[in-house]
Amino acid sequence: MSARPYRETLLFVVLVIAVVASGIQVAWISHEVRRLHAELEDAQRAQDEHLAEYSRLLLERSARSSFQNVERLAQEQLSMRFPEQVEHLER
Amino acid sequence: MKAWRHYLVVIVFLGACAGVAARVVVLNVTDREFLQEQGDLRAVRPQVLPAYRGVIYDRHGEPLAVSTPVAAVWTDPSFVRLSDDAIAQVARVLERDPQALAREIAANAGRQFLYLARRVPWDVAERVQALGLDGVYIQREYRRYYPAGEMAAHVVGMTNIDDLGLEGLELSYDELLRGRPGLKTVLKNRRGETIKNLDYVRAPRFGGDVTLSIDLRLQFMAFRELKAAVAGHRARSGSLVMLDARTGEILALVNEPSYNPNDLGPASREGMRNRAITDTYEPGSTIKPFTVLAAIESGRWQPSTPIDTAPGYFRVGNKLVQDPVNRGTITLRQALQKSSQVAIAKVALDLEQNAVFDVLLRAGIGDFVGTGLPGETAGHLSSHGLDHPVVRATLAYGYGLAVSPLQLAQGYLTLASGGHRRPVSVLKQDSVPSGTPVFDADDVRTVVRMMESVVEKEGTAPAARVPGYRIAGKTGTSRKVGPGGYDDERHVALFAGLAPASDPRFVIVVVINEPGGTAKGGGEVAAPVFGRVAARALRLLGVPPDGEPVAT
Repeated sequence: MSARPYRETLLFVVLVIAVVASGIQVAWISHEVRRLHAELEDAQRAQDEHLAEYSRLLLERSARSSFQNVERLAQEQLSMRFPEQVEHLER
Repeated sequence: MKAWRHYLVVIVFLGACAGVAARVVVLNVTDREFLQEQGDLRAVRPQVLPAYRGVIYDRHGEPLAVSTPVAAVWTDPSFVRLSDDAIAQVARVLERDPQALAREIAANAGRQFLYLARRVPWDVAERVQALGLDGVYIQREYRRYYPAGEMAAHVVGMTNIDDLGLEGLELSYDELLRGRPGLKTVLKNRRGETIKNLDYVRAPRFGGDVTLSIDLRLQFMAFRELKAAVAGHRARSGSLVMLDARTGEILALVNEPSYNPNDLGPASREGMRNRAITDTYEPGSTIKPFTVLAAIESGRWQPSTPIDTAPGYFRVGNKLVQDPVNRGTITLRQALQKSSQVAIAKVALDLEQNAVFDVLLRAGIGDFVGTGLPGETAGHLSSHGLDHPVVRATLAYGYGLAVSPLQLAQGYLTLASGGHRRPVSVLKQDSVPSGTPVFDADDVRTVVRMMESVVEKEGTAPAARVPGYRIAGKTGTSRKVGPGGYDDERHVALFAGLAPASDPRFVIVVVINEPGGTAKGGGEVAAPVFGRVAARALRLLGVPPDGEPVAT
């Protein structure tokens, strides 16, 4: 084989570099994908935990602030009563 | 063409075939175990990411239905045979009988999916996972909690074990509440542990929240009073509907018997029905205000117009219309106050043929209410036979038509809103829905004033009074239809009313079905429930008193 012209050699080198670079890129991207997936997984787990806690707190609040509970506490602990008639103090 | 080239090609091809065949044999025989194991180690599996179901709130933001994450524990009996020891360990953590669990697994040996337990709290599921058993998997799911329990069960409804709407609003708004589960593909080992995420197909879209028009405080009071009344009168069932007079929103809707959506017992079928919207009753005398309204509209009648009811009965066609006593000559106002059948029938016969029917139609009696709650009935109101005086007379005092308690409330809403008809809704409204005027405001005011006399001492329902407030309403007692016509023993007691009468804030309809005690009438059975619920509701809503000051 005869010696290649200068330009063809240059093209060859550039292409080799491009292939190597894109190979590194692929490796880096797949690493990044793995990392982001793990991050997503963590975020989703955290979201789940927060949702669980939120619903638990929501239920607890509703149990404590429920009409029955407030009425019972008012009657038992604070000795309050429902006014049986509307009392007009002044007119 | 040289012959040797031909042979060369044939030999090369045969050699290649032999090579491939040899490789297949080697893979299948020698390396089989290794490859099988590697294959089992990883498998591409689609994984569903469950979506969180939306919360249902009352009008003040109190939760009525909330999902909390729980876990399902499952196994694949066709793939992994759990040892007796493993079963015993799992059973101990799940607090199940190990023998029963083993029998269940043996009975389903051919299946690929078997739940060992569902709706397990997360900490228990984590303890199962910590056992590190092959073939026992955890899957996330949601469990629905209903803080208001049986009090709001008929409105809110419930979901089934797979978190899909089964009853009530959970069913009507299932699409909105459910959201959309996400999906990803993962590489899993045979323990079900994810080794690698392959593709994130789509993120889960969480379900939307729904805010109801229900006021949980009113709902709770209404339920308590209704339950007490149904038990006290040994009635078969009861319903109470409370509407906001200004917006048409449902503030409370309760039925007794009810059911507990958190823990459905085996005998709860009877309690599942939302009687306030699915069952119809003959409304009886609660229709009379509409007959009186038709009379006022005609221009020929005034509240003071006298009617001669002597001798306390009269014959229309072959039907005898009668009052319990001879009331002599009474005014239109007294006819409503005392609920005189004779007087109201005479009024109806004096009016145009379609007058009363037309008023009922405009009030929305006999119209589908359209709240979106499942199982709603349209009731029954027909213009058939209006040319017969008997039909007109009976329609005037509430027989020959059938309405659900919600429909009756919708009818009274037009009286409470000064003659405007508004859509009745179970969802909280951001703005007041525009109403259609169906009655003249002055005519309605006149009728409401007359209805105030019903709760006076001389009226049929003094028990519906609320000290300090003006209450307008009407009692009703209808006999139920049995196998042999109207039954004298089985009654429906009703009371429909609005408060405060000067500027109505709400409408309440109370229906007690088949009271079993000595008291049967709407005035004795249903009116006291109205009185108690209205008294509490007026205070809770902060409505200033508009009536006579009460001496203390």
